[in-house]
This record gives sequence, structure tokens and C-alpha cells, in this order.
Amino acid sequence: MVWPFSSSSSDGVKKTSGGAFESPSRTNRAKCYEGRDAFFECLDRNNILDSINTKAGQAAATKACGGENLVFEKNCAHSWVEYFKKQRVVNYQKEQTIKRIEAEGGEIQAPQLPTRSSR
Amino acid sequence: MSSPCNCVVRSARQLRSASGLRNELRAPTRRTFSSAQSPAAAIRRAIAQNGRFQAQKAWPQNGNTFGRIARDMGGARGFSNSTSKQALKTIEQVRARNKGGPFNLTAAVLFVATACGLYAYFTYEKERMARQRIAEQTKGVGKPKVGGAFDLVDQDGIRFTNEDMAGKYALVYFGFTHCPDICPDELDKMALMHEKVKEKCGENVMMPIMISCDPARDTPAVLKEYLKEFHPDFIGLTGTYENVKDACKVYRVYFSTPANVKPGQDYLVDHSIYFYLMDPEGDFVEAIGRNFTADQAAKVISDHIKDWTGPLNKKDRWTS
Repeated sequence: MVWPFSSSSSDGVKKTSGGAFESPSRTNRAKCYEGRDAFFECLDRNNILDSINTKAGQAAATKACGGENLVFEKNCAHSWVEYFKKQRVVNYQKEQTIKRIEAEGGEIQAPQLPTRSSR
Repeated sequence: MSSPCNCVVRSARQLRSASGLRNELRAPTRRTFSSAQSPAAAIRRAIAQNGRFQAQKAWPQNGNTFGRIARDMGGARGFSNSTSKQALKTIEQVRARNKGGPFNLTAAVLFVATACGLYAYFTYEKERMARQRIAEQTKGVGKPKVGGAFDLVDQDGIRFTNEDMAGKYALVYFGFTHCPDICPDELDKMALMHEKVKEKCGENVMMPIMISCDPARDTPAVLKEYLKEFHPDFIGLTGTYENVKDACKVYRVYFSTPANVKPGQDYLVDHSIYFYLMDPEGDFVEAIGRNFTADQAAKVISDHIKDWTGPLNKKDRWTS
């Protein structure tokens, strides 16, 4: 901390009492993504996938990447933190499913609305 | 007897030239029936000339008879001459035919050009018809209708209804400012799409509109602050909870904003993430999903706009 008098809440992004962004501007979003990526990198290094859905996962994440988690929480709206942590698990499962289907020789097609190319 | 001598010399010369002709004919091609015949024709010609000469000089009293013979022979000569010309032609034709069969370069070029032209034309027409079908699908009776009347306010607090969209294409996106990652990405894409469509179809042809599904937090001021980071042309719409709900309903958009939220409460909104392209009459044209790149989407939109034959109001919203 460069300024010893600054409170801990003012060096993150400005948030409402409920933990939401006061203004979800581009710079604030970028800061949040940065915090998220650092936290996820740490989880990757420690081989942790789920940092939210199970008690054990939460504990492991706090133990291995507590610092990164704090920065992440500070720079993001609370709802975003939850969203990204859950998204990490979902994305991983999606990747595994795609890999499995491809290994079985199936083809993956992204769901899409009927357009003229698919008619 | 100098004149018959001359005749013999001349006929001999003719014979030689005839055989020369034969050689010429024979050299480049196979020996054909007609080329074999030509020396005989030359001999006949020589005899005919001799005959006529003698008939005129030596036996003038029998001129008639010899004249007739000469004429006959002359006729024969004429005939033989013409056959030799025809033969030459035929040989050339035969040669050409032997070379490339019934096809030649000109025919091939014409054929390919015609095929390409027809293919391009039919492909274009097919695409145009498909677009027209998509555009008109929602115009019929008994079809599910997307879009319709709504009553909202824009980012400057000015009332904005579906009638403000009349005369222009509109690209409508539903989102909320507190959206973590998808909406910002999609709005960035929408800015790109808007620029590309402007490039292709001109200014003020399409309105890029974002309708908020989070009226509790997205006031006009918040929307204004938020959207100016994406594109200055973007129009942000919000309103009372009921009005926003109605707008979402006519566009068949699902959203999950709680009706009563406390100030400062932190929540996310689940919502449908499609771009809705609406035509100048307010009818739904096509939905563009996340799988489209900005380029692909801009092409789809521009093609639809170029298909439009009805009136377009190209005036700016604020000056009209």
C-alpha cells in the first residue's frame, strides 16, 4: 500500500453497499477481468477447478490463492465474482464434454437460430 | 507449227504446276481422295485448253464441234477447279476437325463464360429469394410476431416509442449495464457491425438500440454513461419496470430481473442474447446470434437493407 491512510475499499473499484459496481465502465470491467485472470491462473497452478460450489474447494482456493481472491473480490462486483467462479466450472465441463464427443467421433455444432445458411 | 508447240509447252507447265499443287496439298496432310484427283483435273484442264486452241486455229470449220468439246472440257475444268477449291476447304476443315474434335477454343471460352454467368446469377437470385423469404416470414398472418409497440425513454430522458423506429432499420439488443462479460462483448461487436453497415449502406439507415432489462439500476443517466464508451450513435432505452417488461414481451425476450430490488442490491439479470433486425415498417427480419462475427452480421444486415425497396427515412432523429 503506497498511501497508508487510504482505506481498503477505495483502492478497489467503487461499489454500492450491496457489492455491485457503482459504474460498470470499461476501465472497471478491465480491472475486474484482470483480477479474475490472476485468480484463475493461481487456481490452475494449484490444480483447483471449483472454488465456489463445495466447502472443500472454497477452503483450498482460500488457502492456495487467498491473496488473489481478495484482489478479485475487491475489483469486481460480488455477483460477478460468483458468476465467473461458476462459469469456470461450467466452461471446464463443457470442454470435457466436447472433447469426449469428439473422441467418440461425433461432430459438435453450436446451437443457432435457423438462418438461410442452415436451410 | 509453232502454236501447237506452245500448247504442249504450256500444258506441260500446267502439269508441273498441278503436280506442284499436289505436292503442296500432300505435304502437310495425308493423301486424300481429292488431292489424288487434282493432277488428273489439271491434265484435263490442259487438254481442254489444247483442244480449244487447236479448234480455233487448225480446224476452224469444225469449230462448233470442238468448241462444244472445249466448252464441255472447259465446263469440266470449271467443275474440277471448283472441286479442287472445295477439296482445299474440306481438307482444312478436316484438319481442324482432326485437331480438336467438335470443340475449339472459342466454343470452350463461351461455354465456360456462360456457365459462370448463369451460376453467379442463380446463386445471387437464390440468396436474394432466401432473404426475402426470411424477411417476409414474419409479415404473414398467423406467424409468431416479434417486435411491436413499446413506450420507453432514451438515455437523455426523452420518450421513445416504436414509432420513432419507423422508416429506418433497427438493430435491437437487450442487455443491462451490470452485465459481467457477454453484453459488453456483444455491444462492442454491435459497434463494429454498426460501423460496417454505415460504410456499406450510408448514415442514418439503421438505428443501433439497446433496451435495458434492468430498469431498477439502468436509469437514462447510467445508460448514457455506459453506452458512450461503445459508440456515440447507440440509443439506450429504459423505463418503468412495467414498460420494460412489456417491451421484452413483444420482442419475446426472456429476462429475470426481480420486480422489487433494494437500492444498491447486487444481482445479475438473465436474458436472451440476440440482435433483432427490424425493418422500416417495424417488422422483425432476422435474429443474429452470438455465433455471428461482426463481419458476417454486417453482411447479413447490409444485404437485407439493400433488398429493401420501400421508403427509408434517412433524416436524423433529432432534426426530423
